[in-house]
Amino acid sequence: MRINVLGLGNTMFGDEGFGVEVIRYLEKNTDFPENVHLIDGGTQGIYLLDYIESADYLLVFDAIIPVEYDRQVYLYKNDELPGFIYRKMSSHQVGLSELISLARLQNKVPKDLILIGIPPADLNMGVGLSDTVLALVPTAANMGIDTIKSWLNGKE
Amino acid sequence: MAKRIVVDPIPRIEGHLRIEAKLDENNVISDAYSSGTMWRGLELILRGRDPRDAWAFTQRICGVCTTVHALASVRCVEDALGIDVPTNARIIRNLMNATQQTQDHLVHFYHLHALDWVDVVSALSADPKETSDLAQAVSPSWPKSSVGYFKDLKVRLTSFVESGQLGIFSNAYWGHKAYKLPPAANLMAVAHYLEALEFQKEIVKIHAIFGGKNPHPNYVVGGMACAIDPNKDTAINIEQLNQVKRIIDQTQTFIDQVYIPDLIAIAGFYKDWAQWGGGVGNFLSFGDFPETDVDDPSSLMWPRGAILNKDLSTIHDVDPHSLSEIREEVSHSWYSYTDGDEKGLHPSEGQTNAKYSGPQPPFEHLDVDNKYSWLKTPRWKDNPMEVGPLARVLIGYVKGVPMLVDTVNHVLKTLDVGPEALFSTLGRTAARGIECKQTSGFMRHYYDQLVANIKKGDYQTFNNEMWNPDQWPKEAKGFGYTEAPRGALGHWIHIKDKKIEDYQIVVPSTWNASPRDSKGRSGPYEAALKGTPMENPEQPLEVLRTIHSFDPCLACASHIFDVNGDEITSVKIS
Repeated sequence: MRINVLGLGNTMFGDEGFGVEVIRYLEKNTDFPENVHLIDGGTQGIYLLDYIESADYLLVFDAIIPVEYDRQVYLYKNDELPGFIYRKMSSHQVGLSELISLARLQNKVPKDLILIGIPPADLNMGVGLSDTVLALVPTAANMGIDTIKSWLNGKE
Repeated sequence: MAKRIVVDPIPRIEGHLRIEAKLDENNVISDAYSSGTMWRGLELILRGRDPRDAWAFTQRICGVCTTVHALASVRCVEDALGIDVPTNARIIRNLMNATQQTQDHLVHFYHLHALDWVDVVSALSADPKETSDLAQAVSPSWPKSSVGYFKDLKVRLTSFVESGQLGIFSNAYWGHKAYKLPPAANLMAVAHYLEALEFQKEIVKIHAIFGGKNPHPNYVVGGMACAIDPNKDTAINIEQLNQVKRIIDQTQTFIDQVYIPDLIAIAGFYKDWAQWGGGVGNFLSFGDFPETDVDDPSSLMWPRGAILNKDLSTIHDVDPHSLSEIREEVSHSWYSYTDGDEKGLHPSEGQTNAKYSGPQPPFEHLDVDNKYSWLKTPRWKDNPMEVGPLARVLIGYVKGVPMLVDTVNHVLKTLDVGPEALFSTLGRTAARGIECKQTSGFMRHYYDQLVANIKKGDYQTFNNEMWNPDQWPKEAKGFGYTEAPRGALGHWIHIKDKKIEDYQIVVPSTWNASPRDSKGRSGPYEAALKGTPMENPEQPLEVLRTIHSFDPCLACASHIFDVNGDEITSVKIS
């Protein structure tokens, strides 16, 4: 069983780097067995496909724009994640939804796919998260840790 | 299926591109404007930081080609401090660079650009037998070409589309009259789209081996961070080198038996595109792949030089260190220079003072008579220059680079066109494939070099002589370059009191997507779009073909205007 934990985002643009910061937090504060892979995915787009397809269980952290702002940290499972994409001008514009769509086409979707996201407070250029989002990193990480543990314990 | 919630990941940020094109009464593009609509002030983030860390920040500029910025960055610091890297480090950097180029070109062709030429929906009506015959004619040695293979694919694709999951293939212009491939060719191309998708995952494993991890492999000022020891598990050893060799074998096979035959087969249906998309006709390459010393242009496998006015009889010398050759203008960019915006500045003396003077969004039109882009306007000896695969292939072709010349001649001969056909959208797309074949050969070349050097007993990868900042001069300036997949990339650093005093980057897409200069001359995208006839302006496929042929490092919104200047359609890409 392979569990991939993927942090997405651009660390040069404030809260855009949320997903990567959670990975750094998990690297420091957890000690999972070898089949749990913590991956700083940055904004690698299509080059991350292998981390989607190679996973039996996939956990993704990313900055998101929710439909309704009714929570601080959002968790979406499997079919709640859309697999659509937009026309794009650059091969660099490949987001999570497109990766999932590609994985579906290849029949290589993880058994379980969970996205934990926060809406960004500040996207201005600059290294480091805003205080608001930084304070949510442990919360989001702990939700992720619970998810990973449940996979490891075979409850999902 | 459960209720669908729209989760919209934040658009990946590298700047956004907006194209405004004017059409004449015959729907031919009469003028075009290219605007970067997002500010990139990365330079400001680097100020005050340790120069040895700059690569780790700069590799985050671009979502995908991380290694090219890391490479240009370590080279500029090494240039400033006078550091020579060990032979192994030079070879490994070249090998990683060749890997990046090869993978990037392959992905660009199949996963972005091919869908401008290949109609996925038409593929659903293909006859598997006919497709199999075609595939075997196009590439006799490639094994995945049976009737059953294409039959299965057709079933899978049909169920994917019918389930409403058009997904990756949604929101395109399927059925557009400008698509010319017969159904069998479309199905074959879709098969290779999927094969390339699988295959590209393998290539980049080379980065993980030498860079310690991927994505975001490790670089270091003074060499490479990996240790070499053929007999140790914890270092680059025989087992890993064998894995690299296997990947290179597969890569060359895929490029030779799939990419190049596809390119030629598809191009054969689109030879009319050899007349459109030419652009400024000036080409620039810094060169790359040093065989000995990165400071010695004569040692570069990709030669340095410039071509002006499509004149293939002369390659002009280029000196990126010279303060008089490269200038960045801001006459049409949202920046201000302290000594006035009329005169361009060399990047080593560059300034990044943002000063937005455009309309407040949402707006209909850019004010193209004044400033209209967040991209500056780089010029070489005052000329707008195209950078990228076409520039490099033309310069290499004229300079007679072995094997490259053969591939170019093979492609031209098979398509029954002359070298002048290269100055076009089709030529640019062909150049990328030609170059991909070349860089897959470089992968083997540098692998062989590395193995030979290790056999000599040389395991050194890092030169630590200048690692300690106490040894640095009080002040130093450096230039680092590479040829990224999209073209010439330059980093300029100014180090003072052990910290970064200033850092300027000119990325390839800034050359290609630049707005007009102080003399009103168009940038490469702008010039390339002029004169292109459009089948249906509501579906600006032709604009996408030409802009995609440059492989822009930008997200883009393409806006098409009719003769009255009214917006007909806006194609938003997020």
